[in-house]
Amino acid sequence: MPDETIIAVLDCLIPGDATGWPAAGQHGLVPRLHELLELLSADGPAQLQTVLSHLPEDFLTLPTDQQTISLQTVESTAPDAFDTVLKACYSAYYTDPGIRRIIEQKTGYEARPPQPLGYEMEPFDESLLEPVRARGPIWRKVP
Amino acid sequence: MVQSPDIVIVGAGATGLSFAWRLAKQRPDLKILVLERGGHIDQRQGPSLSDDWELALQREFHANPNIRRNSADYPVDETATPIKPAFFNAVGGSTIRWGAHFPRFRPSDFKVHSLDGVAADWPVSYKTLVPYMDINDSIMGVSGLAGDPGNPPRAERPHPPLGSCAGSLRLAKAANRLGWHWWPADAAINSTDAEPGRDGCNNCGPCGMGCPRHARASADIAYLARAQEAGVTLSTHNVVRKIITKGGAATGVETINSDGRTEEISCKELVLAGNAISTNILLTTMSNWENPLLGKGLMLHPTAIVTGFFAEDLKSYSGPFATSIISQEFYETDPKRKFLRGFQLQALRGQGPLSTALGGYGQRLNWGGGHASAFANAFGKSMSLTVTCEDLPEPENRIEVDTKRQDQFGMPIAKMCYRLGANTRQIRDYGVERASEWLRTAGAERLTVTPLSVQAGFHIMGTATMGSEARSSVTGHDGRVHGIDNLTVIDASVFVTASPVNPTSTLQALALRAADLMGRRLAQT
Ligand code: SF4
Repeated sequence: MPDETIIAVLDCLIPGDATGWPAAGQHGLVPRLHELLELLSADGPAQLQTVLSHLPEDFLTLPTDQQTISLQTVESTAPDAFDTVLKACYSAYYTDPGIRRIIEQKTGYEARPPQPLGYEMEPFDESLLEPVRARGPIWRKVP
Repeated sequence: MVQSPDIVIVGAGATGLSFAWRLAKQRPDLKILVLERGGHIDQRQGPSLSDDWELALQREFHANPNIRRNSADYPVDETATPIKPAFFNAVGGSTIRWGAHFPRFRPSDFKVHSLDGVAADWPVSYKTLVPYMDINDSIMGVSGLAGDPGNPPRAERPHPPLGSCAGSLRLAKAANRLGWHWWPADAAINSTDAEPGRDGCNNCGPCGMGCPRHARASADIAYLARAQEAGVTLSTHNVVRKIITKGGAATGVETINSDGRTEEISCKELVLAGNAISTNILLTTMSNWENPLLGKGLMLHPTAIVTGFFAEDLKSYSGPFATSIISQEFYETDPKRKFLRGFQLQALRGQGPLSTALGGYGQRLNWGGGHASAFANAFGKSMSLTVTCEDLPEPENRIEVDTKRQDQFGMPIAKMCYRLGANTRQIRDYGVERASEWLRTAGAERLTVTPLSVQAGFHIMGTATMGSEARSSVTGHDGRVHGIDNLTVIDASVFVTASPVNPTSTLQALALRAADLMGRRLAQT
């Protein structure tokens, strides 16, 4: 199955929007999808083939809403295969350095791993516990 | 490998290593060998240092051994349970994969039959375990705050409480408005740099894939070096596949190593320190021993998750994911409710971008149109509450061992047979209402409810229950198996009841006590 079909599938799964989120297929994630299908699942490549084989032959020429309906049908008729492909698609998208930079621009969540820098947090404020302490013990005594 | 060990311990996890350390300290004359089927995990080089860190949760750090399939993992038949098995096979055991929430069982948890007329009382009391809990806290490195009115008075925690995020502050203030109990979670995490060799937590978030700072305790970090200094020997990649018995005693074990070589190791005392599944498998390999109660009364912690989405950017991806605040308002039996026993509400922070999209412990974001805005409205803006239900021991819930089927190590395969009991379902439903109320009061604009978390069979309890009488239990109060005096079980299969809180603090206290009892007993022989 040519890459264009897989690009179209990815674009349906994560279409992006006008606020600056790119569509997954147009963002060039097909090679990463293949890589992750191998990495994350014993039968990932076969599951992709299952999804593709369930699509109508004219899938590429259908309007987006019809493509989405086709994929919804695959989701219900081949749920395991669809699930594997969807997980790999999300995984490719949200670990992509370009997408991570967009997340950083939009949310301030830095495009870096959690370690070694970690994050800052406020010290715990014990004064908040005053009402809890004032109420006294609530645990049940035993004989 | 140590020649002719006196003591063989199967499993280098939370109980195996703590037991080994304690016994070696008490009895330096004993040769103690710990056999572990997995290898070492280098947490200093953990996945959270790499850009692809979130992928590890789907692969080598997945909680479910059937999905993870690391070389030390063995299959578990999960076709008859809605809650899937979750444990880890490596030095450190499941504490490699945990969130380090470290509450103690309450006194009432040990007296369920006396108080509520169901299940049974433990042959051990809360008071007996407290000194061991204190020792264990100091070694694991626990952060928290003494003075919790939800629990009996306890010693100062070795470390002050972990920090607060905007989400936990919202929940704390909401609990105050509701008049509910809440408290900062006890965490087996160093909040300060006070302990040599371990840095304080820097709030990176994903504790479940190991801690490169060694702030989060795991059994390997907390106990292994201490145990080895005390003379304990550890052998890794060594699968125990059979208990050898002779004349009513366990005389040793048969092992298989990673080269496929089998070996028999003799010992005077054998200790099973894996989990309820591996213990059930091993106990069925013994010839001339059976107990009809073995396998029965499997208890899990069925967990519902309610996630609240807030308008404010809470940056909820920062901070240890599982150790924010808890409420034990609904912990004890209340005659005004329709169920016995209760539940704990535990706040969970948000997750990284990929886990947010995949749903993490909540629900997956929809694909298709609207996905981008759904992500924007969820990422960093959610807090979840677990409803952790106390399960009652019911005979229908069990572990079955099928001796006709074998795994790659030539061992029988265990099957988890489990369904939610009526009482547990009522606890869960009521708990979901209360969790929703708490989140709404905290300002959540939208909620999603996961009525039963599937990949959450972390706490596998019961099935080789301890008791005072041989006819109604599998082991005695010290974990020794009835009928086999030199075979001791120290994993959570000996639990009599489940409590609604995480078991590891109580479990390790039991293991330390069992080590003391064994040390004393052997001194008399
Ligand atoms: S949140 Fe803290 S304890 Fe957890 S892994 Fe990060 S540094 Fe370690």
